[in-house]
Amino acid sequence: MTIIALILSILLGTVSLAMGYSQAGATDYPRWFLLLAGFWLIAHFRKWYWFASIGLLAVIIAAAYGVWHGFPTVWMLLGAVGGLLSWDLSDFARRLSYASPMDDTRDMERRHLERVGIVAALGLGLALLSVFVHFQRLAFEVAVVLVLLAALGLTRLVIGLRK
Amino acid sequence: MSRSILLSLFTYALLLVGIVTTQGAYLALALPLVTYLLVGYLYTPEKIQLEATRQLSAERTSPNSDVDVTVTVTNRGSSLEEVLLEDILPAGLTVRSAPSSPLRTSRHLLRLARGESYTFAYTVSGPRGAYVFEALAAQVNSHLAVSRPRVRVEAPGRLFVFPPVRRVRHIAIRPRRTRVYAGMIPARAGGAGTEFFGVREYQPGDSPHSINWRASARYIDALYANEYQQERVADVGILLDGRLRTNEFAGGHSLFEYSVQAAASIADVLLSQGNRVGLLLYASYLGWTLPGYGKIQRERILHALANAKAEDSQVFSDLEYIPTRLFPPKSQIIFVSPLTEDDLKPLIQLRAQGYDVLVVSPNPVKFELSYLSSSNPDVELAGRVVRMERLLLLQRLQRANIHVLDWDVDEPFDLLVKRRLGRAPIWLHTTGR
Repeated sequence: MTIIALILSILLGTVSLAMGYSQAGATDYPRWFLLLAGFWLIAHFRKWYWFASIGLLAVIIAAAYGVWHGFPTVWMLLGAVGGLLSWDLSDFARRLSYASPMDDTRDMERRHLERVGIVAALGLGLALLSVFVHFQRLAFEVAVVLVLLAALGLTRLVIGLRK
Repeated sequence: MSRSILLSLFTYALLLVGIVTTQGAYLALALPLVTYLLVGYLYTPEKIQLEATRQLSAERTSPNSDVDVTVTVTNRGSSLEEVLLEDILPAGLTVRSAPSSPLRTSRHLLRLARGESYTFAYTVSGPRGAYVFEALAAQVNSHLAVSRPRVRVEAPGRLFVFPPVRRVRHIAIRPRRTRVYAGMIPARAGGAGTEFFGVREYQPGDSPHSINWRASARYIDALYANEYQQERVADVGILLDGRLRTNEFAGGHSLFEYSVQAAASIADVLLSQGNRVGLLLYASYLGWTLPGYGKIQRERILHALANAKAEDSQVFSDLEYIPTRLFPPKSQIIFVSPLTEDDLKPLIQLRAQGYDVLVVSPNPVKFELSYLSSSNPDVELAGRVVRMERLLLLQRLQRANIHVLDWDVDEPFDLLVKRRLGRAPIWLHTTGR
């Protein structure tokens, strides 16, 4: 179950990026994304779990690069969410590999997939909301202050939650 | 790198790029990561409190025998979504996949609700040794494994793998001094016993059955009675040589296990005969088990032997530091060692101090040659030279009135003892058995 979800999420991430890039006319890149997907899958089946972090980094950089060049943001967001899902599921599959054959992991898999699916959907929803809902344009200085405040608040929130 | 740190780095990098480029899309890219992190931390378990108990199917066993370990873990804290439990095995023990239960392992991934218990079992086996189970390692993953604290859950347990004890029926030793209690060792003194000791004049109170009629017929002035040798218990000190240089050979082959087996068998038979037995391990340290009697002493000695390891030390590299004060004067010392040339002098000194010394020596020459190529002429020549050297050493010891039992370890120890040291008690002859 996890493996199928992992394959689908890798495909979601890389194909979305490929679509976004090709729609914007950057037709040289999609083949690299497909190569990344292939290598990610090979790495997973060869138990090179460290590659998942590199894969996520590659997807985030590719999405950021796409945003920089003004490629369709929705595809870039889908790519980032796909990368995040793949990274999570790859680690989850690694953890599952530690289970003994007697352990009941099916229920654990189902619960994790539900949870990570909800989180991905929520993250994507919020991101899309932020893309499509625009308020009156703020002054740059105000925006910077707001973002810094958000970052500070986020840090404090994370520290608080960790405690 | 921790998962949360990696995601945080990506998030802050996207935020920074968003600020620098003044593009809100970067912030949108960061939002799924932020959501993931926040949800992950929001569902981090508040309190991890696991308790564990351990049960072993046997606390004392023989080498490579299967022992079932059953561990029960109870969650006394908040619900745990994903716990990876791994029992920390003492070094030397291995998990066995028994044919009846091939899936049993010491590692489990599970979900533990508050108050819930989980029991798992697996089978271990190992060589001789004393093994201490201490704890389980538990890695508790939060919902999205953003935080994964590791906790140690104490679950103590002990397993002793004793050396195999080959039952020996009797060991004939004759120390100069015995103790006052009746036993099976000839005491070099006349009295009640089974073995003929001499003839003396009949004393009032002697049993008429003890009258030696043949001797009495020769002399008309008095009657003569047979006297029997008293049989008592004795003090026996077993000295186990744990020096690495005498026990270990090329390729990691060691005779020490055989020495330990021999010491265990000797202690077993001597204690079952009622003797007072102590054990001294002469290795990188002096491991002294105080002398004692009976089954409890047998347990103590087996525990000491389970712990015994062959180790090297500069101080105890030769036998000059044997603490002879530990052994009662004129008692029996049984030295279990493959022997080296340097051991001759200290052993003769022991004999000169009045101890009765018996050397049980696993034969290192045959042992080493058994795994060396016999077709190699150099090996054959070296083997002959070493064999002659050892023969000479044993002859010198015997000339010093030290009894030597040269043990080819291919032969079972009990058979060797029966052949060389097993004197059947006289009562067995008299009853015709």
